[in-house]
Amino acid sequence: MKKEITFTLNNEKVVVEVDPGWTLLYLLREVFELTGTKEGCGVGECGACTVIVDGDAVSSCLYPVLEAEGKNVITIEGVAASDGTLHPLQQAFIDNNGVQCGYCTSGMIMSAKALLEKKAVPTEEDIRTSIAGNICRCTGYVQIVESVQQAAERMKK
Amino acid sequence: MDNLLHVGKNIPRTAETDKVTGRAVYMDEYKRPGMLHGKILYSRYAHARIKSINTEKAKNLPGVRAVITGYDIPDVRVGFLGDQTVLKRDLVRQFRDEVAAVAAITPEIAEEALKLIEVEYEPLPAIFDPLEAMKPDAPLVHETDARGRPLRSNILPLPWKFNAGDVEKARQESAYTATDSVNTPWINQCCMGTSGCVAEFDSNNNLMFCSQTNVIFGAKQRIQTYLLNIGLKGKKIRVINPTVGGSFGTKLDTDIYEFICIQLALKTRKPVRIRFTREEEFMALPPRQTARFTIEQGCDKNGLLTFRKVEAILDNGAYTSWGATTPSVMMLPISSMYRVPNVSFQATCVYTNNIYSQAMRGYGNPQAAFAVETSMDHLAETAGIDAAEFRMINRNHPGDVTPMGLKITTCPLEQCITAVKEKIKWDEKRGKRNGRGVGMASLIHVAGGARVYLSDGTGIRIKVNESGEVDVLSGSTDQGQGSPTVIAQIVAEATGFKPEDVNIVFGDTALGLWDAGTHASRHTFVAGNAAVRAGEKVKQQILELAVQYIPKMVKRSLKQQKKKNPDFVEPELDYTLIDSPEKLDLRNRMIFPKAAPDHPHFKTEVGKILTSGLHVGTGESKAVVAEVFWDPPTEMLNAEMKGNYSCTYAFGAAGVEVEVDRQTGEVKILKLVSAHDVGRAINPSLVKGQIYGAAYIGVGYGLTERVQLVDGKVVNPNFRDYKILTANDAIPVEAVIIEDPDPAGPYGAKGIGEPGLVPTAPAIANAVYDAIGVRIKDLPITPEKVLAALKAKEG
Amino acid sequence: MSNYEYHKPQTVKEAIGLMESLENAKYIAGGTDVIVLVKQEKLAPANLVSLRNISELVYIDTKDGLKLGAGVTHSAIANNEFIRKRYSALADAAGAVGSKQIRNVATMGGNICNAAPSADTACPLLVLDAKIVIDGKAGKREVPIDDFFLGPNKVALNAGELVTGFVLPDLGSNTGSAYIKHARRQAMDLPIIGIAARAAIKIDGNEAVCRDSFVAGNDISQTIKRLEDERLVFEDVRIAMGVVAPRPVRAKKAEEAIKGKIISEKLLKEIGEIAASESQPRDSIRGEAWYRREMVKVLTGRAILRSIGRIVGPEQMTNPNRLW
Repeated sequence: MKKEITFTLNNEKVVVEVDPGWTLLYLLREVFELTGTKEGCGVGECGACTVIVDGDAVSSCLYPVLEAEGKNVITIEGVAASDGTLHPLQQAFIDNNGVQCGYCTSGMIMSAKALLEKKAVPTEEDIRTSIAGNICRCTGYVQIVESVQQAAERMKK
Repeated sequence: MDNLLHVGKNIPRTAETDKVTGRAVYMDEYKRPGMLHGKILYSRYAHARIKSINTEKAKNLPGVRAVITGYDIPDVRVGFLGDQTVLKRDLVRQFRDEVAAVAAITPEIAEEALKLIEVEYEPLPAIFDPLEAMKPDAPLVHETDARGRPLRSNILPLPWKFNAGDVEKARQESAYTATDSVNTPWINQCCMGTSGCVAEFDSNNNLMFCSQTNVIFGAKQRIQTYLLNIGLKGKKIRVINPTVGGSFGTKLDTDIYEFICIQLALKTRKPVRIRFTREEEFMALPPRQTARFTIEQGCDKNGLLTFRKVEAILDNGAYTSWGATTPSVMMLPISSMYRVPNVSFQATCVYTNNIYSQAMRGYGNPQAAFAVETSMDHLAETAGIDAAEFRMINRNHPGDVTPMGLKITTCPLEQCITAVKEKIKWDEKRGKRNGRGVGMASLIHVAGGARVYLSDGTGIRIKVNESGEVDVLSGSTDQGQGSPTVIAQIVAEATGFKPEDVNIVFGDTALGLWDAGTHASRHTFVAGNAAVRAGEKVKQQILELAVQYIPKMVKRSLKQQKKKNPDFVEPELDYTLIDSPEKLDLRNRMIFPKAAPDHPHFKTEVGKILTSGLHVGTGESKAVVAEVFWDPPTEMLNAEMKGNYSCTYAFGAAGVEVEVDRQTGEVKILKLVSAHDVGRAINPSLVKGQIYGAAYIGVGYGLTERVQLVDGKVVNPNFRDYKILTANDAIPVEAVIIEDPDPAGPYGAKGIGEPGLVPTAPAIANAVYDAIGVRIKDLPITPEKVLAALKAKEG
Repeated sequence: MSNYEYHKPQTVKEAIGLMESLENAKYIAGGTDVIVLVKQEKLAPANLVSLRNISELVYIDTKDGLKLGAGVTHSAIANNEFIRKRYSALADAAGAVGSKQIRNVATMGGNICNAAPSADTACPLLVLDAKIVIDGKAGKREVPIDDFFLGPNKVALNAGELVTGFVLPDLGSNTGSAYIKHARRQAMDLPIIGIAARAAIKIDGNEAVCRDSFVAGNDISQTIKRLEDERLVFEDVRIAMGVVAPRPVRAKKAEEAIKGKIISEKLLKEIGEIAASESQPRDSIRGEAWYRREMVKVLTGRAILRSIGRIVGPEQMTNPNRLW
């Protein structure tokens, strides 16, 4: 039986009918067509579906859709400024070769963003722990870590 | 070659900004009106007879549009040896055999329908060990070959045999020899974006096929053949790429699911998408195969290699894809890594009821390099020579022609080994046996294309629009390595425009000229060479326009100034400075006389020439466009498996420092140095990205990764149990770029896509030996193997 | 997509009521196990009763010992300074579960009720003498954790009951604890084995000398030798092992054998041997039995040593990612 939920999605209040059996990922991709959030495994083991809910990085593929009620959900589409200016993290991933095939990138940026919101000056270990749930097959993580470090630097200024 | 404006710079990947905003369209997002979703039913047995299939219930499920089995479609063979069909009739030979397929209005309904398909099997004896499968009385995986002729053995009719010199004689004359048996595991490529495709026929039965293939023209040809064989003659096929979420070898061959998708689209008259789950990615895609090597090497009393003899047995699995041709690349290190005059190599591919195999980054090289480099350390120790010195003594040199006929052009292997030695502090740390150790391995790989098809060419078409954008149409593909950025840099350098002016169109057979595919580390080299040549032609055309129009523009401007200001004195200008294209240059969008680069009147922004020079009226208007198809001057391997199949070769070395926990057997990497001969780094940041990424996969190959099969079934088909390293498994890795521009490369560049993976695992194994005196010859080097070996050693 | 109804009670009472009235219902907390099982069709509940919106399940009370609500997330445990210092084994384990994304939603209650032999927090709760607080239509009850695990994915909960929290006794300042997760990767992994230890100690000699011994990178044998010289005595020790039996288990013979003895390398080795004799590991795709048994021998001593470090060692010993 469909139910109506209300929540904040990328800084906009949304009201939507959902099926209780959906995950948040399904709602984002199939209903809102916010397809930047990827399904890499569907069982919380790769991090490609990471979104930020009330400030915390979560796997949207395991997030029961009804739990989004009243929450503040940010996806990769809500990271850049409304005029399209890239977030420092996005810019740093472009500038430092932090992106290759790009499939993990949305999730990586969301995990990194959740970290930087809690800790503006993270250690390398903080960064690595925050993205350890995001599998990347292309980069060996080196330039991703460098991208996050540079973004943190730029955001301090 | 100095004074380059764009090549050699860390140009950001601005062309791929859609990947950081979530807007990039991968297969997951590629949608067509009325599109259906396809799902595949796989075998429940490794080997069985299909007694019956009942699809009635599945067909009656609301939302299902088609259910097909092998009995519903023409029995047409596909694949490299034609040893399988698209959907299997009568027999299944592996767990991933495709038995039926469904198209439905949602993926969920299609999945539901699969459960309603009833298949009755009669299990048959299966064989999983290639050594058992080679025995004369072993049950046959295939009773007949593609043409129906009876087969007597599970050994594939692919005789990989290579001989150079006289190995027997060299063995007898050697002062030292060493023999080792080494094993390498199945490895899943683990693209983060799972496999998928969309097939769509138009009303004339022409096919639009959206595929992740990195060989779009190869895929087109295979599909064309298939359509012809099922009775669709003369149909047009267009293959396009979406954004591709990684390839690593999986997109080299056309996979069975792609043919199934085409069949479902044909049957339903609708666009159909198939998209793999992660579990399918592990159990229904061909991995890198397992290999067993026996390697024997010898050297004289001075440490010079005398011979190398290698025998390999490859578990082919039930069918044949590009896994069976990996010996052509195993040949590289086996015949040509280090100077070795006498070589013999024999590889045997064996059918089993395991999952079949195909390409992965590095092709056969990482497997064979593990054998060669393990043996190198062993032989060095036997001969009492330091392992780094031993490699140095035997290193390749520029100008060498190897036993395989490879012509070594540039070869900074010496610098690579030296860099590794220094950075890993080799002399200080080697030989302590105190739980810490250092190890090394080298590599040779194709870096100037690889002639595995009759053509190894790439065509590039460049057109410059009147507004000054540079459109580059290429038949190549990009799977994430950053080709759009690198080609934009090369085109900007060659044409005289800026990288941001360049707009790259990849991955469309209708727009691009033929290309042999983005594989074998060949794209930057081959497409780059075509791009340089096409870019230079474009530049020439623009300079010809400039000769015509700059004088006109200058004279008009002077006239206007005179009109405005009667006192204006027209300067005396030497128009011979710009009276031929050879006297002009175009760089960074500015046209100028070579003899007076800052000439105040002749220096002209290129856009002005384009607007005034292209659209100039009846009969005179022009377009700036050039195309070049470049096929490297190389040879295919001949019947003796000899031939210079690449224009140039890349060398490199990896050094690793490890700490081994003697109580738990855990290996911790303290430092990894990966030094690579890249010719010239077109974009150093992107080159490092290739090295880091490949080295990381190499560490996984060395320590953690393996597809586990139990009686032919993949038992770890997920990221929890297939252990890709995470960001927390921090490997302190240093990429060292050695530049020694190759005369044949675009601005001197060599290919660098695969090399980083090759020496990593053997360097780790050699470091483990240095740390604890135990040699692990079976990848991955798990704590269990280390501890067991230590216990065996301590008795 | 799955066909279940999803209920969001606001109180424990409401949740128990729903569980009683609904057909084929199952509790769900963070969902990181339940949703996976539903997707894999290993579970097909008609109703899921969510515990996520019950504020009375989310508390960390440090007044007298430690009281934890079942709805506390692994992240909250791992980041809690008090728990890291005083119940270090629990923080070690909570911080080692899955990934940040998982730890941010997965709850203590969920991890325990799922009762996988590999559940990371189970061993720490065993050595920390936790009691499980259970509520249901028959009322509240407390069960010692050792009686709670019955077998793989089997726990001592009656129909409709749920775990509401955990009660951990105050163990005093001369007690330390640690959990070692022995896995193939540093994140996103299940343990090959997990070992938790808790040690209460007495020192006859110089405590400052002991402290100096606990510097990361020091040779372990030397550290033990110095502790031996200062006559460090084990007053009370708990050892628990994961993935070596159908359920997480205590190594009670080993615990008995170490009590009252002075630390030595030989003693720790013996204790490891005894603990290993109490384990019954099996071969699986994730690890071989012989290796698991060997690791019990090795890691028991290390977990005990790390526990001591938490008492006498420097401040950074509370950091769960230390080499020790």
